[in-house]
Amino acid sequence: MSSSGPILKVSRVEKHFGGIAAVDGATLDVARGSITALIGPNGAGKTTLFNVVSGFYRPERGEILFEGERIDRRSPHSIAQRGLVRTFQITKALTKMTVLENVMLAARNQPGEHLWQIVLRPGSARRREREVAERARELLRFVHLERLADDYAGTLSGGQRKLLEFARALMTEPRMVLLDEPMAGVNPTLGLELLERMKALQVDLGMTFLLIEHDMEVVMSVSERVIVMNEGRVIADGPPGEVQRDQRVIDAYLGTGAAAAAGGMGR
Amino acid sequence: MSELAQLLANGLVTGSIIAIAAIGLTLVYGILGIVNFAHGEYLAFGAFIAFAVNVTLGWPIAGSIVFAMVATAMLGLGLEYGLWRPLRRRGAKVVALLLVSIGLALVLRHVIFLVWGATPRRFDVDVFQVYDLGGVIRLSLTQITAVSIAFAAILLVGLTLARTKLGKSMRAYSDNSALASVSGIDVDRITAYTWVLGAGLAGLGGVLLGLVQGSFNPNMGFTLLLPIFAAVILGGVGSAYGSLVGGVGLGLAMELSTWNALAGGVDPVYKPVVAFAILILALLVRPQGLFGKARYV
Amino acid sequence: MTAPLLATTIASPSFWAFVGVVAGIYTIFALGLQLQFGFTGLLNFGHVAFMAISAYTMAILIVKVEAPMWAAAPAGIAVAMVFGLLIGLPTLRLRADYLAITTIAFGEIVRYVALNQDGLTGGPIGTINLKGSGTSASYNGDWLAFQGKVQHALETVFGDMGKDTAMLAIVWTVAIALIVAMQVLVKAPWGRVLRSIREDEDAASSLGKNVFAYKLQALALGAALAAVAGLFFAFQFSFFSPQDFDPLTTFFGYIIVILAGTARNWAVPVGAVIFGVIFAGTRFFEFPPFTYFGSADRAYLRLIVVGLILIGLMAFRPQGLLGKREEMVLE
Ligand SMILES: Nc1ncnc2c1ncn2[C@@H]1O[C@H](COP(=O)(O)OP(=O)(O)O)[C@@H](O)[C@H]1O
Ligand SMILES: [Mg+2]
Repeated sequence: MSSSGPILKVSRVEKHFGGIAAVDGATLDVARGSITALIGPNGAGKTTLFNVVSGFYRPERGEILFEGERIDRRSPHSIAQRGLVRTFQITKALTKMTVLENVMLAARNQPGEHLWQIVLRPGSARRREREVAERARELLRFVHLERLADDYAGTLSGGQRKLLEFARALMTEPRMVLLDEPMAGVNPTLGLELLERMKALQVDLGMTFLLIEHDMEVVMSVSERVIVMNEGRVIADGPPGEVQRDQRVIDAYLGTGAAAAAGGMGR
Repeated sequence: MSELAQLLANGLVTGSIIAIAAIGLTLVYGILGIVNFAHGEYLAFGAFIAFAVNVTLGWPIAGSIVFAMVATAMLGLGLEYGLWRPLRRRGAKVVALLLVSIGLALVLRHVIFLVWGATPRRFDVDVFQVYDLGGVIRLSLTQITAVSIAFAAILLVGLTLARTKLGKSMRAYSDNSALASVSGIDVDRITAYTWVLGAGLAGLGGVLLGLVQGSFNPNMGFTLLLPIFAAVILGGVGSAYGSLVGGVGLGLAMELSTWNALAGGVDPVYKPVVAFAILILALLVRPQGLFGKARYV
Repeated sequence: MTAPLLATTIASPSFWAFVGVVAGIYTIFALGLQLQFGFTGLLNFGHVAFMAISAYTMAILIVKVEAPMWAAAPAGIAVAMVFGLLIGLPTLRLRADYLAITTIAFGEIVRYVALNQDGLTGGPIGTINLKGSGTSASYNGDWLAFQGKVQHALETVFGDMGKDTAMLAIVWTVAIALIVAMQVLVKAPWGRVLRSIREDEDAASSLGKNVFAYKLQALALGAALAAVAGLFFAFQFSFFSPQDFDPLTTFFGYIIVILAGTARNWAVPVGAVIFGVIFAGTRFFEFPPFTYFGSADRAYLRLIVVGLILIGLMAFRPQGLLGKREEMVLE
């Protein structure tokens, strides 16, 4: 639809667990082709918001528009198929499959995933499979996992699993990626490289990223805009430097006992 | 009217036995994560031990019931130490444990067959003593005894779970095992008592089932297993009180479905099908059971 | 059974042909479970119902509607698949343990209906009673004619063979063809999606896979395999009754799959043959300690052994004889 305006609009979304409101009327939007950071103290509702946006939880209230279209009643797979893909804070590497298979699984337009096509067009499935394998290896090279391509994903370390999930998300040819703490456990040099590539994807392909990240330095270096959540709500929204000086933000972090020293709000 | 009263009475008899059996299944399911397909065989085991003591050795039925309960509790405990605990230590999870329980069911059932054969057995009790209650309900003495014992047991278990330290710990552990194990609850002890309680009640349920049915064979437990599962799921997995309500409700539903006033009622041969249908419907409508998130009270 | 008679039984090719046919039927049956449980992680405990539905559909159509076998048999498979879809639609969103319980309940409902709707199914006596009491109904005339032709063709090529070789050849030809077909499907990207669902549904759906649709396909296709097994079962035994479809049959299927190795199509016949030999072969162990037991007791012993095998496998070798530990998924 509209190729201008925000790619993602979240309005007054609520999600409760029993008595507690994990997301409590959150409203935000994400500009097309931006790298936006979502921060907030532990338990602020960031992951829950991702779960709602990606269709894993159904919100009790509010609406979510992706590319101008309501997605808050859609199932996770149909949201992913629309080009909005997420990674998980607690990784979901498929440990009983090889690293390469993990990435290949994510390919779209694979006729071989449909029973009747396997029978009717076996050739095209095989051709596509070769393309997919090649692209998957490229992405694995990109996250420095190509040496482990044929190992079971169960043998990967936590950081490597984060990288695998990143590669897998990119394999779906997304328009927008939600990254839940993508750098956690990843070695810093590789983490920096990851940021570079994210920037490149943003610039070259106009891909949009919304990432949950604790490290303010990372946030400052990569994103032009920061959204801050606390207790299920958005409490601040703006350029990183500005947000960092916002009194409500400082209070939120102080309130949880986390250090809010200048320059670093997370760990 | 008298038909309805009779059906209600029958429903209470069936339902109380399902409920007794369901408590053990739901606690083991909730606390240990074992979906125990061998639970029906614990019932059969109890019935046949009681048969051996009552008929073969000539003990009175009351003593036989107690003996059978103790024996079944010992079986439960023995299998916990000999089978389930080593499997859990090896990291076996829900599906693996479930498949093991199917193997265990095969073993137990056919050991019972091997020892006692397929001929229907009866307890040494007077089944012909029938009471007219208010001229509308006819129940045999054994049925009245069985349902009284069942409700007494239900009451006792309810009190144990609600009042004693052990009962409270069991519920806490079933609610949140991670939290419970850091808060100083002795997990091994809880596990052992869960089996003693669950298997003991299953043994009791088996004897009572044998009493109300009149005759029984080693398949008796497996035949009742799905209604018991239905009660557990209706009540919410892990919820002892829920399974009591589920069990009695299911017994009533099975009997009342045959009521003539309900468009002629269901053919009585389809009573088990009524239970299965309720089970499937219940799972579709409320997978968490009627009593919400597996809470006890 | 006396010793000389026993010797002739064990040596008799027709006895082993019988074991071979039963193993072939179980191979096809278990191949369906392999797809549902081994590859997709669906704990379908009502598998035997699909077998029952196709066998009964075929028998009823042939006896009551006088349909030709070539129409009735595919109809049996189609009806079983429809039931697979119908039971799958409401249940496939349930977690594994609940799915197991609902499907076993579904299987029992099918058996109870077969047992009690005498007018439709012949009731507890079985299909021989399909025309009511007094006349004995038969549904396999067309089949026996076909089997005779195959037998004749085999004899012109290979010379004289036992009279059961045709059935053996037909069942195993179909079984092997189906194994190959399943292998093609699971090696295709379709199979990769199934394996991802088996391990983590959320991961699969986060990557745009319609988990529910894939589960439904696996259930229906597995049901079709059970249905094929049901047809051969009906042909092999020329009449059948509801008791043939108790939950034990489904559990045997699981034991075959686990014995063979989950997610290993070509291992299924190995599991089925081992199971067949344990099951049928032990009937004829006429030496101590087996001779201390009567034949009914030996049937119980067999089931005890089968139960112990299942427990032992899960405890010591959950990946089965031919599976890979690294690919084991059992939550
Ligand atoms: N599945 C769940 N069930 C119950 N409570 C949950 C669940 N998921 C999250 N919560 C609660 O919601 C709140 C927000 O959690 P989360 O979204 O994970 O925060 P964040 O990602 O910002 O650290 C927390 O209080 C958490 O305990
Ligand atoms: Mg989080």
